[in-house]
Amino acid sequence: MGPGHEQGESHSLRGPVDRPVLIAIRDLVDDEEPLARPELDDFLDPQTLEVQLDDGLCGTERARIDAQWTTHNDYKFHYTDSKGVDLRWGKHPHYGDYGNVTGFEHYHPPPDTTSDPSTVEDSCITQSAPLLVTRAVLKLWRTAYHAESLTPLNAGSDPP
Amino acid sequence: MTDSPVPGEFDDVDEAVGREWEAETTPYERVREVISYTYTPVSAPTVAEKARTSPKTARKHLDALADEGFVTAESGENGGTRYRRSRESIVVEQAADILARLSTEELVDRIEELRERIAGYRDEYGVDSPEELAVERTNRALAETPDADTIDPEDRREWQRTRRNLAFANAALSIANAERFVGGESGPTGERATSR
Repeated sequence: MGPGHEQGESHSLRGPVDRPVLIAIRDLVDDEEPLARPELDDFLDPQTLEVQLDDGLCGTERARIDAQWTTHNDYKFHYTDSKGVDLRWGKHPHYGDYGNVTGFEHYHPPPDTTSDPSTVEDSCITQSAPLLVTRAVLKLWRTAYHAESLTPLNAGSDPP
Repeated sequence: MTDSPVPGEFDDVDEAVGREWEAETTPYERVREVISYTYTPVSAPTVAEKARTSPKTARKHLDALADEGFVTAESGENGGTRYRRSRESIVVEQAADILARLSTEELVDRIEELRERIAGYRDEYGVDSPEELAVERTNRALAETPDADTIDPEDRREWQRTRRNLAFANAALSIANAERFVGGESGPTGERATSR
């Protein structure tokens, strides 16, 4: 995990991680993204789907997206790379701590997924189903990858 | 290694992935995908909206999925039918996934490990279930016991997760055991091998 990975306990995802969903996300990523190698951190009792990326953003050598999804449909997709860039799309209650965020969906911007609540933004992803959120994450990643820029990651459109 | 494909232009990532999904799948596939991860009952129109199809089409597919046991249908409060993924079909699906990858011996070892993990939580917190742990935490918070914050909320979720996955693993082992005794009397030269 990258630095500054978590805030307080009040920002936990609700409910246990859902193995059936992690498997479905793994299979979708495998089908959709040639640069990604997704693997459960524990085959039988997984907490995280680790998606190794053969290329990072902006020319970074290695990168990984860690995905968690719970039975309550809360989630985190956390990008971290070998240059120390971290960012994260998430959905979980934040009890008004993120003043700029209207719903549960939010985006911790790079470079360090800063825990400063004033920098957390609304997420451009508002789909709620696991495989549609995964498709959106892959599309945003791919757009940023080809643009060689971090800007498209929460722009929701191409060109942003 | 093939390179990552360049995405086309899009205005709204939510709408773009929705359209792609619709283009790549049939209404049946979308209804099945939506209900796969719907654990609390919803109406056919709700599924239809998420699956980008009509309520009539959604209802037809949901009823068929209920007939084959993938979906549980129940009467809602105002007479309409409500649907959710059947728990039995989740268990059977997860058991099949586990058996496709692990041998019975590996499975027995891993089940023991998960059981020990759960026993560890029980010992650590002195309660028998993650739900009791939540009650215990609340009681301690109400009583303002200073060590209330020594109980890790992440532990509670991991406990629930491990218990759920242990249930899947146990189901897998039971199925593997049962299969040894089903249709086995005919042996390798029996019915399966000589039919046709």
